[in-house]
Amino acid sequence: MQNKLKTMAGALGLAVVLAAGPAAAQNFGPPELIEAAKKEGKLVYYTANFAEVEQQVIKAFNKRFPEIKVEMVRAPGGQLITRVKTEAAAGKLAADVVDHSDRALMLPLVDLFQDYAPPNAADYRPDAMISPKLWPRATLVWSIAYNTELVKNPPKTWMDLTKPEYGNKQIGQVFAASGGTTWTRIMFERQVLGEDYWKKQAATNPVLYPSGAPTSDSLVRGEVSIAPLLYNAIYPKQKEGAPIKIFFAPEGAPVNPYATGIPKTAAHPNAAKLFLNWCLSEEGQTFMIKELGNLTSLKTAPVYPEGFDPKVVKVWLPNFDQYVKLHAQWVEEWNKTYNYRQ
Amino acid sequence: MRDPATQLQSAVLSPRTDRLRSLLAAAWVLSLLALLAFLVVYPLLMLLLGALTDTNPVVDGFGVFRLSIHNFTTVLTNANVAEALANTLIICGGGTVIAVAIGLTFSWIVVRTNTPCKRFVAAASMLPLFAPPLVAGVAWVILGSPKTGLINTAFKWIGLDFRIDLYTLPGLIFVFGIYYAPYVYMFTSSALRNMDPSLEEASEVAGANPITTLFSVTFPLIMPAIISGTLLSFVVMLGIYGIPAVLGAPSDINVLTTYIFKLTNWSPPLYNTAAAVAIILMVVTGALVIAQQRVLSGRSFTTVAGKAFRPRSIDLGGWRWLTLALAALYLLVVVVLPTLALIIAAFRKFLFFRDLASVFDMRAYSLDHMRSILDNPLTINSIYNSVEVGIITALAGGALAFAIGYTIHRTQLAGRRSIDLLSTLPVAVPGLVVGVAYLWAWIGLPGGLYGTLWILALAFVARFMPDTVKTLSTSLMQIHRELEEASWICGKGTLTTIRSVVLPLASPGVIAAMTLLFVLAIRELGSSLFLYTSNTMVMSVLLLDYYEGGNIGKTAAFSLLQMLLLGGLIGVANWLSRGASQIGTTRS
Repeated sequence: MQNKLKTMAGALGLAVVLAAGPAAAQNFGPPELIEAAKKEGKLVYYTANFAEVEQQVIKAFNKRFPEIKVEMVRAPGGQLITRVKTEAAAGKLAADVVDHSDRALMLPLVDLFQDYAPPNAADYRPDAMISPKLWPRATLVWSIAYNTELVKNPPKTWMDLTKPEYGNKQIGQVFAASGGTTWTRIMFERQVLGEDYWKKQAATNPVLYPSGAPTSDSLVRGEVSIAPLLYNAIYPKQKEGAPIKIFFAPEGAPVNPYATGIPKTAAHPNAAKLFLNWCLSEEGQTFMIKELGNLTSLKTAPVYPEGFDPKVVKVWLPNFDQYVKLHAQWVEEWNKTYNYRQ
Repeated sequence: MRDPATQLQSAVLSPRTDRLRSLLAAAWVLSLLALLAFLVVYPLLMLLLGALTDTNPVVDGFGVFRLSIHNFTTVLTNANVAEALANTLIICGGGTVIAVAIGLTFSWIVVRTNTPCKRFVAAASMLPLFAPPLVAGVAWVILGSPKTGLINTAFKWIGLDFRIDLYTLPGLIFVFGIYYAPYVYMFTSSALRNMDPSLEEASEVAGANPITTLFSVTFPLIMPAIISGTLLSFVVMLGIYGIPAVLGAPSDINVLTTYIFKLTNWSPPLYNTAAAVAIILMVVTGALVIAQQRVLSGRSFTTVAGKAFRPRSIDLGGWRWLTLALAALYLLVVVVLPTLALIIAAFRKFLFFRDLASVFDMRAYSLDHMRSILDNPLTINSIYNSVEVGIITALAGGALAFAIGYTIHRTQLAGRRSIDLLSTLPVAVPGLVVGVAYLWAWIGLPGGLYGTLWILALAFVARFMPDTVKTLSTSLMQIHRELEEASWICGKGTLTTIRSVVLPLASPGVIAAMTLLFVLAIRELGSSLFLYTSNTMVMSVLLLDYYEGGNIGKTAAFSLLQMLLLGGLIGVANWLSRGASQIGTTRS
């Protein structure tokens, strides 16, 4: 495995040197792989990300490789895991690629997956990975957004969200138990912003939402005026012209890398590899940053989202051990602090 | 088909059945029971098993599970569950009262009076049924949010200080009530249409005024339909997720379904606990169903006898303008406002309104959302799949429901009580959990069922069997035995009698049941979520995707598309049913 990684990393180094201009061919895998992938002609893609976002990814992939049809199954995180487990147990796992936002849920399933590494494996941050089989295909980052029609004196930091002037249901929050990405944010709040941050923030009496999507929609409609949001959940709305401003607060930007792998039972393993190679390539990651508002787990980001200055804002990755161990107790404490009935 | 039919005839016709005939009778009942066991009992057992363990029966196998009532004790001692249960009963109870009041009034106006434009009113009033609950919730958020709702924006503009707030228990009751009024309407209007008006005439000849007649003759006569409609709308409300999810979330009002959804959506998901909550919901519903059977048993509801009749209208005189005004108000609240909200959402780039004037700022509107959903290849795919599943479900489910309804209500076969009970069970199970139960139950079956549209159709047939059987039964219960007896005396067999007497007379009910089944199948989300695969994506799943992606505009655009499609198809079905009921009337 190590050797394989080294060879691949070597190949990638060469590819990066060769890829002088944007038009130059990138390394998406050896010609045999591409040939075999084209012969398979399709792959089945299970994802917990939003279908519409992933449609754009598939479209961009098909610009490169129009011969390979990607069939997608999308389900919310917990339901996707149940489906994968049940299908696998019945010997009917249809997925060629499984893509999930909660690494803690994917870890127990790691035996279902085959060895896989992209050509540029060595360029990825090891702390964004929980297994050499599972890759951070997408990396989402938290930002703070506000409705410019309603907020005249906008917040500038995470700590500002505790100010009484934003009290009385002006702030929208996603509740803690909603999934891996939100869990990352509330860990960040307690570990970086202070043990009493939740208490102070909860004192502003925020509106609680089940996930980022209804929160960002409520922000656009003016139901709430300010909300911490995944950048990729609000950025498309700003791009379309909604009265929204987004910023990355100086205390840090919590990020949540996905865990994505190829099951051992994949019926189209070559197409699956090629798809992941492309997603994890600089081209794929650049596309996701620029068009979808993701970040990347590449050691050196090819580009940053608008308004993200790496000199000012530090990326914050949770310690994975704590990510798993603290979960149950901290979510319960969060629920108590926010008076959220679960 | 011939064998069971012949056997049926024998069972009904002569008490002295010979050996072969009674064997065939037993075979018919057994095959129905076997089918119900596969469709209902087996998945529910999987659910019960799930509730009694902490494992996934497919993943961990049947050998290793640890039986315990831990999930039940967790659930029963949780104060939040108790509160969610209380909220559920308050909301569904209040909602049912409103739905029955509106639905019954309305079916009387449409079927029994000479109110102007009633055909149009009748057609338009069914529109809310086509909108999935999630969409209904979204539409009412746009209208009735305390901060940003259009109604409140309008109040502000007029200078009124009054504000409505739908993020409350009364708000939820109101939306549930108006949303399910068409459901009650469907039940009661087909019963009213099939009712012999001579009984009303008799009442009027005896000097009773129309209102007295209504309460002392008409409503008591269609009591089975009213009770079935009341019970079913209450039970269906128990299982609705979309409306309380959208309207209850901002003020943290939980009901059992939203609680169950949370359990399945947490990381890690707690399906076994969710199954336990679902079983509690089933117990509540089971009690209601038994209560209904007690009330209805031993009473005769025959209103269709051998005499020819033509449904008649009561001449309301000047009062017909009042009923028209009522109908118009109903349409405004139930159809026009929510549809308008959806249209605005579908064609407006963003749903932010600075004031009422900005609603009419045409620069804020565009075809972007429509264009983008039509651009998505999944859209066309899902429409095709949904219609196919809908048709399979309506035909198969309709046929099965007729077989079950006939066996329960028109024969004396042993075992029909069990059939009745089994076919009513699925009503109690919320869709999200039953989806997992079907997945657990059917994924392991040999053959390629999993991954096809058929598994979706099977799940829908099973899940909506109570709705279909109940809709059909009210029509079947109204047909007097003498009509069938006349046919037998003329030497016709059971099959011929069913085809030429029962089916034509019950056809408004059959068509209503199949239409309902079609609509429910296309709307159904909970069980689809687990059973669809990459090439069997259906509209409801795609709609949830749009909603979960935070795209109210696209959600609205896609649901408008879905409503148009359903409206068109239902129009055709309605036209067919009118033809059929005319044939029925002529033949009788």
